[in-house]
Amino acid sequence: MGTVHARSLDPLPMHGPELGIHTDDVEVVDVEPRTKQEILENKDVVVQHVHFDGLGRTKEDILGYEIADVFNAKNFIDVMQKSHQARQKLLRLGIFREVEVVIDTSQGKDALPNGLDITFEVVELRRMTGSYNTMVGNNEGSMVLGLKLPNLLGRAEKLTFQFSYGTKETSYGLSFFKPQPGHFERSFSLNLYKVTGQFPWSSLRETDRGFSTDFNFPIWKTNHTLKWEGVWRELGCLARTTSFAVREESGHTLKSSLSHAMVIDTRNSAILPKKGALLKINQELAGYTGGDASFLKEDFELQLNKQLIFNSVLSASLWGGLLLPIGDKPTSIADRFYLGGPTSVRGFSMYSIGPQSEGDYLGGEAYWAGGVHLYTPLPFWPAQGGFGDLFRTHFFLNAGNLCNLNYGEGPRAHLQKLAECIRWSYGAGIVLRLGNIARLELNYCIPMGVQSGDRICDGVQFGAGIRFL
Amino acid sequence: MSLAAEAFVSQIAAAEPWPENATLYQPLKDDQILLSDCASSLAVQAYLRMCNLPVQVSCRANAEYMSPSGKVPFIQVGNQVISELGPIVQFTKAKGHSLSDGLDDVQKAEMKAYMELVNNMLLTAELYIQWCDESTAAEITRPRYSSPYSWPLNQILAYQKQWEVRRKINAIGWGGKTLEQVYEDVSQCCQALSQRLGTQPYFFNKHPTELDALVFGHLFTILTTQLTSDELSGRIKNYSNLLSFCRRIEQNYFEEHDRDSAGSSSSRFSKGPSL
Amino acid sequence: MADPLELYCWKGDWGLPSVDSDSLTVLAYAKFAGAPLKVHKIANPWRSPTGSLPALKTREEGSLSQPSKIIIHLRKQKYNADYDLSAKEGADTLAFISLLEEKMLPALIYAFWLDSKNYVDVTRRWYAENISFPFNFFLPNRMHGQQLERLRLVRGDSGLEPGDDIEKELYRDALECMTLLSQRLGSHKFFFGDSPSSLDAYVFGYLAPLVKIKLPSGKLQQHLNSLDNLRHFCTNILTLYFPAEGREAPSRKMSSQPDAGDFDNEPNKRRNQVLSVLVALGAMLGYAILTGIVSIQRVHQEALESSEGHGNHSHDSEEEDE
Repeated sequence: MGTVHARSLDPLPMHGPELGIHTDDVEVVDVEPRTKQEILENKDVVVQHVHFDGLGRTKEDILGYEIADVFNAKNFIDVMQKSHQARQKLLRLGIFREVEVVIDTSQGKDALPNGLDITFEVVELRRMTGSYNTMVGNNEGSMVLGLKLPNLLGRAEKLTFQFSYGTKETSYGLSFFKPQPGHFERSFSLNLYKVTGQFPWSSLRETDRGFSTDFNFPIWKTNHTLKWEGVWRELGCLARTTSFAVREESGHTLKSSLSHAMVIDTRNSAILPKKGALLKINQELAGYTGGDASFLKEDFELQLNKQLIFNSVLSASLWGGLLLPIGDKPTSIADRFYLGGPTSVRGFSMYSIGPQSEGDYLGGEAYWAGGVHLYTPLPFWPAQGGFGDLFRTHFFLNAGNLCNLNYGEGPRAHLQKLAECIRWSYGAGIVLRLGNIARLELNYCIPMGVQSGDRICDGVQFGAGIRFL
Repeated sequence: MSLAAEAFVSQIAAAEPWPENATLYQPLKDDQILLSDCASSLAVQAYLRMCNLPVQVSCRANAEYMSPSGKVPFIQVGNQVISELGPIVQFTKAKGHSLSDGLDDVQKAEMKAYMELVNNMLLTAELYIQWCDESTAAEITRPRYSSPYSWPLNQILAYQKQWEVRRKINAIGWGGKTLEQVYEDVSQCCQALSQRLGTQPYFFNKHPTELDALVFGHLFTILTTQLTSDELSGRIKNYSNLLSFCRRIEQNYFEEHDRDSAGSSSSRFSKGPSL
Repeated sequence: MADPLELYCWKGDWGLPSVDSDSLTVLAYAKFAGAPLKVHKIANPWRSPTGSLPALKTREEGSLSQPSKIIIHLRKQKYNADYDLSAKEGADTLAFISLLEEKMLPALIYAFWLDSKNYVDVTRRWYAENISFPFNFFLPNRMHGQQLERLRLVRGDSGLEPGDDIEKELYRDALECMTLLSQRLGSHKFFFGDSPSSLDAYVFGYLAPLVKIKLPSGKLQQHLNSLDNLRHFCTNILTLYFPAEGREAPSRKMSSQPDAGDFDNEPNKRRNQVLSVLVALGAMLGYAILTGIVSIQRVHQEALESSEGHGNHSHDSEEEDE
């Protein structure tokens, strides 16, 4: 009999003769569409079997959870909705390239008159996919090789390997990800990596070799991550003229830390959201599981968005953090917070606010930063949709402060210190959205409250990144 | 910095007097420092004392990595950082302090040659004994080198350094030597030094030079350090003029500054006098 | 007398008994001490008993490869050029040999193996021409790598590329070393009196290549030329102890002066350029024709036979094929 390919959620069947109830009913019934719709909507159906076609290495037990809901469908529209949702869930597992749903009447001996059989025709991803990119950055070129093995053991595990070979530095990373069968939001991953970075604002070079494992799980509306990380950090001077304060930090340290992060994200989009809020709270405790570094680090990020008239959005954000050394060893430059730049307090050079020594910025142990933005669509691009939708103009006001905790005078004095000498800036610019991950900004900034030692970038400033104040 | 810039900077540095807070950085004295590093550090300290330039000694666990050339000791004078005895001698010369001005050309040539002899033979022998002799490496060197770090970083760093030193020793041709041959080389070197010293108080008669500082640094450290065997210090003790030379310099330049450290020279793991 | 010992060393050129410093040292010492050696001058380190040159094959102790070990062995066989030295002079010998090894050797390695112009024009060319096939394809590169590694480890530097800073530093030390040697030598014929000793052998071994081999970028050579006594010292030893080499090298290599060399290369270079362009064009055309991007139609006959009207037609059809 007729089959219906449910590729997308469509309230009406797309073509073919009506869905017959009896398998031997071949007459073509000419019924008005409206009646047809009623018949279909009100038909009570029972989903009897669900088949999977095209499984190779995937184990069936994990699939069972994703499609379990389909069996609860009561009528035909429900079946189509639920099978569409099941299809989305199957795709979300990341193990199939295509999933097609075929709904057919039940066949066989135990077929009920209103029974339905659903078949998911899947095409699994290949065992290994590779990618090769070349990147050119600040005076450096590199070749990046990526290797991905999806669905490694049949239960949606994923193994990725990335290797970057550059003119200056080499880095690599190996990562293993395993979701819990039945609860895809709960997952576990292991990472092994070596990353090198150069930080010209502190005249520092850092090489990290580390191993980390984390658990990800949702609780009610929040998403939690528990992570243990062990990193061998090697710090070095970038030039012979590096200041002595940075030179003193050179050498090897081992950091072994436990961290917990909580995220509540109700925004409608990660980049240029129109409404919703974001709250991220992160804490890290190092030193109790071995290693040389010993501290407690707290970090939070808050963002609120509200849509106003004329398609404009008002957005406010607040960031803050605190690094408390435990024991008598001072904190390391690699753990401290940095402030300033096109992605944080605009109008200042990259990470160039706060304590410094001979032009090298040392970071601070406590900071806060806040911003208020007004995003409007481009003034001369009245049409909605299309290319102009990727751009926004924005007016902003940023402020922030960064300091160290070495006064020995208690928390009140520190809060006071953070409240004096606030650096702030205001300006306007254009924002371009790149996909759903990143954004580019071109701003005209006017920095104020500049303290001696800060490096400013007043006038036009360009920024690209993922996380902006 | 390019050499031209260095020359320019050292010209500027020459104009400034020696500051009071010049500091010498070396690894931790009690737990971490090794024989070769202690010898080099003592040589620099002796040289600066001979020039009458005050310097404070500061011990850091990461001194080796702080140093611009990767070798200890290094001194911080004003905002300049200079490591190793050779460059330090040149730096002090630029500031107008020099011990070898009174030598003629032939003597200067000999002084440089003998300094290279000490570097070539004594220092290499020290490195060999520390890192290539498995019993010393396992009992003394590796535990000391890795003492400031926690597991597993300490093992990684110690083995990495050992591998590096062994490669260097192979590259300069000492890889095939046995411990006995190394001791023989040390004896030969001491014999040469003893011959050159003769009966004079210092290598160039009346006044000490950087060569005296270097020889004192190495010999005194070897004499006052406990290793797994006493063979090395025994070889030096065969030459009495070298022993009296060391004692002389210790008395003249070190004892008058530190009354309480005169007797503390031979505890089990001390590496040199606690100055 | 005992059977003569056999010495394997690099062969010579440019008027030198050998092009390698270590081999020169051993040869000179053997001549000074009067040791009867059967010398095999070869150009393939793999044919030596130890895999490297120089190598001394002895009956009792196997084969030795380092100059210091070879000299010690010869001394044990009673061929001792240092017999007459006083204890102090013996000490000085040790000291100056250390000075040479620490200051002179790194600069020599740099000048012959790391300085790009020197390496390509002189060193690699000589080794490639003189090592037998098929080793001459990879041995020079391997030796280059070994020398680079040696220099890197001796200096303790992790990043060592040929650059101005490293060069200036190394050459400064080497120039100072040569000046000191010159001052120590003074106006004597040899370093310790009138008969040569092992120190003379070492100095000869390190400096003779600089005196004789013309390098395109030769700062060390310029300085050495200004130190007359050292230059005379080297040529003196050559004439006294290696007279045969001087006769065998009748300015053969003089023709490879820098200017002459360039001039010789010029027509070759141009010819090579033209040839390579032609080859590339030919390859492109061949590929195009073979894959059918361009096809040569056999319309010549028709074009000749037909009238001018068809001439246009064939012209069009040729265009279509492209």
